[in-house]
Amino acid sequence: MKSQPFGLIRNRKALVGVAIIAFILIVAIAAPLLTPYDPGARVGRPHQAPSLAHWLGTTRIGQDVFTRLIYGARTSLAVGFGAGLLITIVGTALGILAGYRGGKVDEVISFFTNMVLVVPNLPLLLVLAAFIGQASPWVIALILGATSWAWGARVTRAETLSVKQKDYVKSAEMMGEPRWRIMTFEIFPNLISIVGINFIGSVIFAIITQATLEFLGLGDPKVVSWGTMLYAAQKASALSVGAWWDILTPCFALAFLGIGLSLLNFAVDEIANPRLRTGNRLGRWSALIRSGEGRL
Amino acid sequence: MAFLLRRLCFYLAAFVAAATINFFLPRLMPGDPVQIMFSSAGAELPPESLQALKLTFGFVDGPLWQQYLTYLGSIFSGDLGRSIKYFPLEVTTVLGNALVWTVGLMGTATIISFTLGTFLGILAAWRRGSLFDVIVSVGAIFATSVPAVVTSLIVVFFFGFTLNWFPTGYAADPALDPAFTLEYIGSVLYHGILPMLTLCTVLTGGFAVTMRNNMINLLGEDYIVMARAKGLSDGHVMLWYAARNALLPTVSSLAIAIGTILGGSLVTEVVFNYPGLGNILYQAILARDYPVIQGQLLIMTATMLVANFIVDVSYVLLDPRLKRA
Repeated sequence: MKSQPFGLIRNRKALVGVAIIAFILIVAIAAPLLTPYDPGARVGRPHQAPSLAHWLGTTRIGQDVFTRLIYGARTSLAVGFGAGLLITIVGTALGILAGYRGGKVDEVISFFTNMVLVVPNLPLLLVLAAFIGQASPWVIALILGATSWAWGARVTRAETLSVKQKDYVKSAEMMGEPRWRIMTFEIFPNLISIVGINFIGSVIFAIITQATLEFLGLGDPKVVSWGTMLYAAQKASALSVGAWWDILTPCFALAFLGIGLSLLNFAVDEIANPRLRTGNRLGRWSALIRSGEGRL
Repeated sequence: MAFLLRRLCFYLAAFVAAATINFFLPRLMPGDPVQIMFSSAGAELPPESLQALKLTFGFVDGPLWQQYLTYLGSIFSGDLGRSIKYFPLEVTTVLGNALVWTVGLMGTATIISFTLGTFLGILAAWRRGSLFDVIVSVGAIFATSVPAVVTSLIVVFFFGFTLNWFPTGYAADPALDPAFTLEYIGSVLYHGILPMLTLCTVLTGGFAVTMRNNMINLLGEDYIVMARAKGLSDGHVMLWYAARNALLPTVSSLAIAIGTILGGSLVTEVVFNYPGLGNILYQAILARDYPVIQGQLLIMTATMLVANFIVDVSYVLLDPRLKRA
C-alpha cells in the first residue's frame, strides 16, 4: 500500500485523470474570481454568440454561459462526491456485513441487494424525484445514496468472502476480537482498492445521474448546475435556433469530467492490483459477480 | 429447470417490491396526495378523473392492508389506472404504444452493439498490446464515461442540425400512415439511425472491454496452448476455443447492463423526440402526470425482468453444467 502515491504519479492514466479533476475543482472554487457576472443574473441580450464580453455566449434569457458553467461545476462536483461517498459507505458496510457474518444476515442483505439490482435504477429515481417535486441537489444526492448501493454491496461481499478465509482474520477470531473490530480493522483495510474503485465509479454514476434527472426536468431549475443548464437549453430549443454554445458547453464539461474520473478509476485498479496492469478491471469484476451469483 | 424456477420466483418478488414502492410513495406525501396531484397537474380535468385518480393509487375505503391488496390486485390484472395528461386514456394504452418503439430501438441497439463489441473485444484481446487494442481500449473508456444525454446531444447537433443528414425527431415521417409498406419501413429506419448510432456508441465500449478482458483471462489456459500445438489455424483457435468460452461471462454482464441500456434509451428518446417510453415519460414529468410516471416504473421493471429471464435462459443453453444441476 505504501507505494501507492508513487504509483499514482508514475501512471499516465492517473496523472491525466487527476489533472482533469483538479483543473475542474480549481475553476469551481475560484469561480467568483474568474467572472464578473452573477450566474443567475441577466447580463446580456438573449442567445448571443461567444464574444470577448461573454466567452461562451449567453442563454435564452441572457445569462452568461461561462459564468453558469463554472458555478455549475460546484454543484455537479459536490453532488457527485457527496452521493458517491454515501453510496460507497452504504454499499461497503452492507457488503462486509453480509460477507463476514454469513448465514441469515447474509441471506437478507443479499436478497435485498439482488432485488435492488433488478429494479431499473433510472425509472425508480424518476418516480422518487417526481414525488419529491423539484428536488434540490442535496435531495438528489440522498436518493442516489439510498437506491444505488447494491452494485458496491455485491462486489464488496464477494471480496469479503475471500478475505475472511485469510489467516490473520482467523487468528483475530481466535484471540477473541469483537466482530465489529474484525470487520473495521482486519477486513476493511484489505478491501481498500475495491472500495476506492467503487467510490470513483459511484461518483461518475452520481454526476451522470444527477445531470440526467435535472435534464429531464426533475431538478430545481433555480439551482445552477450542469444538469439544469442542459434542461434550460433544451427547453429553449437551443439547438434548433442555432445557439449551440448554450447546450454544448455543459455537454463537453460533463464529458470532460467523466473521462477524467474514468481514467483515474482504471489507474487506481491497475496500481492496487499489479497483476491487472494489462487492463483487467472488468474481467475481475465479472469474476467477482460470478462468485456472488447463484444465490438469491 | 430448478434454476429457472427459482429465478422466476425471485423476479416476481422484485416486481412486487417495485409495486410496493409505488403504493407507499403517494401515502408518504404530506396532506391529501390525490388533491395535490390533481391540482399540480394544472390541466382542466373533469371531476370524474379525481375518482379515477384515487382508484389508480388504491385509495379505497378500508384499512391499509386492504388498500394494498386491492392495489396489487389491479396491477396484476393489468390495470395501471388512467393518465392525467391524456385523460381518459388508460396508462397501459399510453405506455403500451410507446413500449413498442422503445423495445424496438433498445433491442436493435443492444444486438448491434453486443455483436460489434464482442468482436472488437475478441480481436483486441487476440492482438493484445497492438495499436488496434489500444484504440479499442481507450475508445471504450471514452465512450462509456460520457453520459448518454451528452452523446445524444452531440450526435443530434452534428448529424442532425449541422450536417442536416438525418431527421432530428419522430420515429417516421409524420405525413405517412403507419403500414407495412416499403416507404413507411424505410422512413422508420431512416429516423432510427441517429438514436441507434447514439445508443451503440454508449453501449459498444462496455461490451468490448468485458469481452476483451474475459478473453485475456482465458488465453493462458492449457487447452488454448493445446489447440495451437495441434496446429489449428489462428482464427479457429480464436473463435472456437477462446471466444466461445469467454462469451459466457459476457452474457451475464449483459444482464447487468440492461438497466443502463434502459436508462440510456430513455434519455436518447427525449433528445431525439422519439415516441418511445422515454419521451412519454418526459412529457409526463413536465405535466406531473403521476399515474404515468408510476406506471413506467412497473413496465420498465417488467421489461428488465423479462430481459433478465431471457439472459438466464440463454445462460442455461450456453452452459451445459446448469442444465444438469
